[in-house]
Amino acid sequence: MRDYLVFYVNGEECRVSGADVFQPLSSYLRYQKGQTGTKIVCEEGDCGACSILLGRADNGKITYKAINSCIQYLYQIDRCHIVSIEGLKNDGELNPVQEAMVKCHGAQCGFCTPGFVVTMCGYFDEQKKADPQSIKDCLTGNLCRCTGYEPIIKAGMNVDPEAIIPLAKLYPAGEMLRCFEQAGKESVQIKSEEQTVFIPANLEDALKFKAANPDAIVVSGGTDLSVIMNKRSYEPSSIMSLCNVEGLDGIKSTNGIVNVGARVTLSQLEEFFKERVPEFHNILWVFGSPQIRNAGTLAGNIANASPIADTPPFLFIMDALLELRSSKGTRQVRINEFYKGYKKFDLQKDELITSIVIPMPKKDELIKLYKVSRRKHLDISTNTAAFRLSMKGNQIENIAIAYGGVAATILRLPKTEEFLTGKELTVSNIEAAAEIAVSEISPIDDVRGSKAFRNQLARNLMMKLYFDLSEGRLAACPQ
Amino acid sequence: MSSVGKDIPHDSAKAHVSGESIYIDDFPPARSELIVDFYYAPTSHARIKSLDLSDASKVKGVHSLYTYKDLNSDNRFGPIVKDELLLVEDLIEFMGHPIVVIAAENLKAIKKAKNAIKIDYEELEAVLTIDRAKEKELYLGPTRRIKRGDVEAAFKKAEHIIEDEFVIHGQEQFYLESQAAIVYPKENGQLEVHSSTQHPTEVQEVIAHLLGLQMNQVVCITKRMGGGFGGKESQATHPAAMAALVAQKTKRPARIVFNKDQDMQVTGKRHPFKNKYKVAFDKSGRITALKADFFSDGGAFFDLSTAVMARALCHVDNAYYLENADIRGTICKTNLPPNTAFRGFGGPQGIATIENIMEEIAAYLALDPLEVRKVNLYGEKDRNVTPYGEIVFDNSLPLIFEELEKNSQYKKRKQAVDEFNSKSSWQLKGIAVSAVKFGISFNTKFLNQANALVNIYLDGSIQVSTGATEMGQGVNTNIKQLVAGAFDIDHEQVIVMPTSTEKNNNTSATAASSATDLNGSAALDACLKIKAALTELAARIIQSKELEIQASPSSIVFENGFIYDRRRPATKLTFKELVKQAYLNRVSLGERGFYATAGLDWTWEAGEEKTAAGHPFLYYTQGAAVTELTIDKLTGEIQVDRVDILMDIGNPINPGIARGQLSGAFVQGMGWVTSEFLSYAKDGTLMSHSPTTYKIPNIQDTPKVFNIDWIDRENKVNVAGTKAVGEPPLCLGLSVWCAVKYAMRAASGGKIPKLELPASNEEIVMRLAEFSHSNKERAVLSKN
Repeated sequence: MRDYLVFYVNGEECRVSGADVFQPLSSYLRYQKGQTGTKIVCEEGDCGACSILLGRADNGKITYKAINSCIQYLYQIDRCHIVSIEGLKNDGELNPVQEAMVKCHGAQCGFCTPGFVVTMCGYFDEQKKADPQSIKDCLTGNLCRCTGYEPIIKAGMNVDPEAIIPLAKLYPAGEMLRCFEQAGKESVQIKSEEQTVFIPANLEDALKFKAANPDAIVVSGGTDLSVIMNKRSYEPSSIMSLCNVEGLDGIKSTNGIVNVGARVTLSQLEEFFKERVPEFHNILWVFGSPQIRNAGTLAGNIANASPIADTPPFLFIMDALLELRSSKGTRQVRINEFYKGYKKFDLQKDELITSIVIPMPKKDELIKLYKVSRRKHLDISTNTAAFRLSMKGNQIENIAIAYGGVAATILRLPKTEEFLTGKELTVSNIEAAAEIAVSEISPIDDVRGSKAFRNQLARNLMMKLYFDLSEGRLAACPQ
Repeated sequence: MSSVGKDIPHDSAKAHVSGESIYIDDFPPARSELIVDFYYAPTSHARIKSLDLSDASKVKGVHSLYTYKDLNSDNRFGPIVKDELLLVEDLIEFMGHPIVVIAAENLKAIKKAKNAIKIDYEELEAVLTIDRAKEKELYLGPTRRIKRGDVEAAFKKAEHIIEDEFVIHGQEQFYLESQAAIVYPKENGQLEVHSSTQHPTEVQEVIAHLLGLQMNQVVCITKRMGGGFGGKESQATHPAAMAALVAQKTKRPARIVFNKDQDMQVTGKRHPFKNKYKVAFDKSGRITALKADFFSDGGAFFDLSTAVMARALCHVDNAYYLENADIRGTICKTNLPPNTAFRGFGGPQGIATIENIMEEIAAYLALDPLEVRKVNLYGEKDRNVTPYGEIVFDNSLPLIFEELEKNSQYKKRKQAVDEFNSKSSWQLKGIAVSAVKFGISFNTKFLNQANALVNIYLDGSIQVSTGATEMGQGVNTNIKQLVAGAFDIDHEQVIVMPTSTEKNNNTSATAASSATDLNGSAALDACLKIKAALTELAARIIQSKELEIQASPSSIVFENGFIYDRRRPATKLTFKELVKQAYLNRVSLGERGFYATAGLDWTWEAGEEKTAAGHPFLYYTQGAAVTELTIDKLTGEIQVDRVDILMDIGNPINPGIARGQLSGAFVQGMGWVTSEFLSYAKDGTLMSHSPTTYKIPNIQDTPKVFNIDWIDRENKVNVAGTKAVGEPPLCLGLSVWCAVKYAMRAASGGKIPKLELPASNEEIVMRLAEFSHSNKERAVLSKN
């Protein structure tokens, strides 16, 4: 059993043990490594000032993704290579992204700038082309209060991708990969006075640990748990970090059934569903930021059990199954029966969610997903809605409806579904259905909207479905 | 080579993109350093019965705890009225008001200490709205008034009148770098304060006052801020003073850095306003009288509220001539954190009021709102005097409107918008022009002064120091270009140094868009003094080489890094050679410059009626913008399709920096009027206290098409022919709000569509739901 973490920062090996592993990467970089280019602003993954590139071993090379270092605790980055703003110059000279940001006035006060530069460098490390929309998409997770973004978009368009020196060249992977492989052979356990973290090397060790430590908190992407730790001084005494568990990070598709491993990130999912279910892809596109999607997982979004989570409404209408495993065995639960109340769900203390099984839409089925938030991108929903239906002419043959943000859990709307089944698609039927929907929900007033607003949205999203159907904006998913 | 007018990079750009720029919390911790934080009022209004710190002081790692009793003198301070308490004595007046300063070895100890503090208090009624403050007649200062003509007589003769109330919510500054300061104790009770502040002199003055020091014992240094936007004009003082208290008491370096949530919860914001208005107009939409009664929410203490109200009152006319006007402003005292400066400083709230009125008059008369604006626009020769008596000289608004209407193809696009709205089932389009005429200078006359220090070194390189603070806006780059331009040398030879009260004393805040105007002018004054001496010397040196001419300073030319006599252009000195000679000849190579804006005056108490009058502004920065957008009627989502901005900003010193101010300010204004919604619980708790819940514009929210331009016109009354540009374009963000309002006209069944500011998705959806409800009722009624 290893009792320290091993990772690299800008090509330099770091070993950390004891209490130091229970801190966010951003704090470690700034206060222990003295690398203060990485800024801390919101400590909740919503501003991107702390963005760094996280490199993980990936089939003989290291693949880098931008993530928020303020919500990655050190125990999540074992066997990773971190590239921060300090590690991006080429031989002491500004790189092409930095040059473009200087030339185009992409920086004013400069506090958000390292985050923008890092994120953009991550983009150009993978992509050889850019257009204004792709620049915007890559920078959704970076807030700037000075520039109005226009100069930054311009800077992105002024980068010569050919002039970029790939990270693989700046930081040859060989030695790091050998180190990671060696270190991956055993599980890790590290203790401080108050906390213990266990990093299993495989699923078997994970299940054993969970059986022996049923109260251990399971962390994968940590995009929600780390926020609670930062903001509410949450200090679980026992943590299990899944960052080294292999075999849970793939998506398999067979006979119209998709199996998503528990460590699959939302980015992987976004890519997978792009062609298969464009509606779900679109929801993932506005879900959080690239940095959040590069870290967060579908399983985490489910286990977080928020009534305003963005992925579950789709899983509800598809009647997805959760595969739960413990050292005693495996069982499956319908997601429609998983949630038992606000943040309560059917998961035993010794169980882990290991995969999510999603039946794909059938040939004639139409899928429509909606998300309403104060700001379109990188915002938590006020209301969500998901519809799966099949039409026969102008008649609704079957319909499944899930609403989020309107009760303690995400809801299916059985009465509304029953009412609409067999009905003609008309304004009056939809208006009547909307009123039934409102009777099935019980929203509250909170920071994301009033009860009255949420009720109105519950009606309006039904009407939005009507317009999308009647004006022909819905197509069946490719089979 | 004149560097003035050149698009060079921001002087910190290379360090910014490399992560090498140093902000307060990037200072390496000193070994003995203490971390400072504070325990603040957990409720909005209460009387403290007891405060028990005994457990908290025993927490491992806690060094010491301080209350108001530890402050040496009177605990009250404030930028205008000294009414604010740094630390609560017995009366809690807002949630977030500091009570106990905690100094500790680490953050963990601070968290534990906060939990160990025991407080008992008696709750009092918390006044949290303008309405409630009005009911209880709780005000800060007297009602102020601007008046011209006879509104009552005009109302009697009026063809049409609209009378209503307009609700404007606040806005969080959301600088990325939260409030921060480090204080190093020095010999003989002196303190060296590093503060992320827009106003080093105020930090110095308040610390000296609260800690019983002379001002000369406190040096405040500001290298840069990670954004300020007004939020660090008066309220950077509090954290600096708390750290200074700890440094003074412990003789150890003390660091305070707010976290984002804490920063948003305890600091003030843009003032919410609730404005009553009554406007008379003729059938063309021309306003014949405006009566307005402004009420702002000042929060618990004065802070800058009176100055903010002054600017609001001076900007209700905006770009439009008001023949008869009676404008009053009253500041409500509530139990919220004292509201404070935010880019625009009341101007945006005044401007929003009249731009709303323009849309309402147009809706009432079923006219194109642009036509209504045009008939009201200030004229060039007549109809060009503001209600407070200042002439709008060199008025570029008519030209701007003409060019913008033409270049943006407004007419054609408006027609397309109207057509779209007549057909669309679930979307609405809106288009609107809004304008800005922003007065430049502090309303308070004495603030319009600045000093600067220019030092030239033996190698010809130059350091400049002024009272201006750099917060990203590029003031240092502008000043660097002005100084390089004065000697016509390469701008790389000039560095603008950190702002320090040791070098520049009694400075004004970097505020009111005027930092470059004031400090740049002072720097130029210093340069001209040095240059005069250098010119004399150059004339003598050249004469010594060219014996057949007489020494003639008036023939000396500084050009491209060289100095020569225009009668003998071949005999050149480099700037460095001349500087060296100056040193050897004992000519001063350092000067202090001073500038005071000429010709300003302002009073609140003119005439029998004691109304405001004067000439508070040196000039106006003007402009207009057209915004077109699409609204999803069912979700309230807004997509800004296109924005065209056209301004008169004189000749910018650095076009790239000026452009960045335009795009940045516009988007910040757009955020205020759309997605930025401050949500409060019933007890006054701010619920939207971090970017998860408070939504500033994201890169995806930027206009799909964003055209930014300015007219070619020199501003003869200001340094280098330029105009201030920091705040004015923020007001053009209102074109987005006006476009929403215009879009709502298509759904309101012929009525004036009421709309609060911001037009959040909730506001839009709920207003539309009201319209469709009342439209249906009307349909039922007309059937019957």
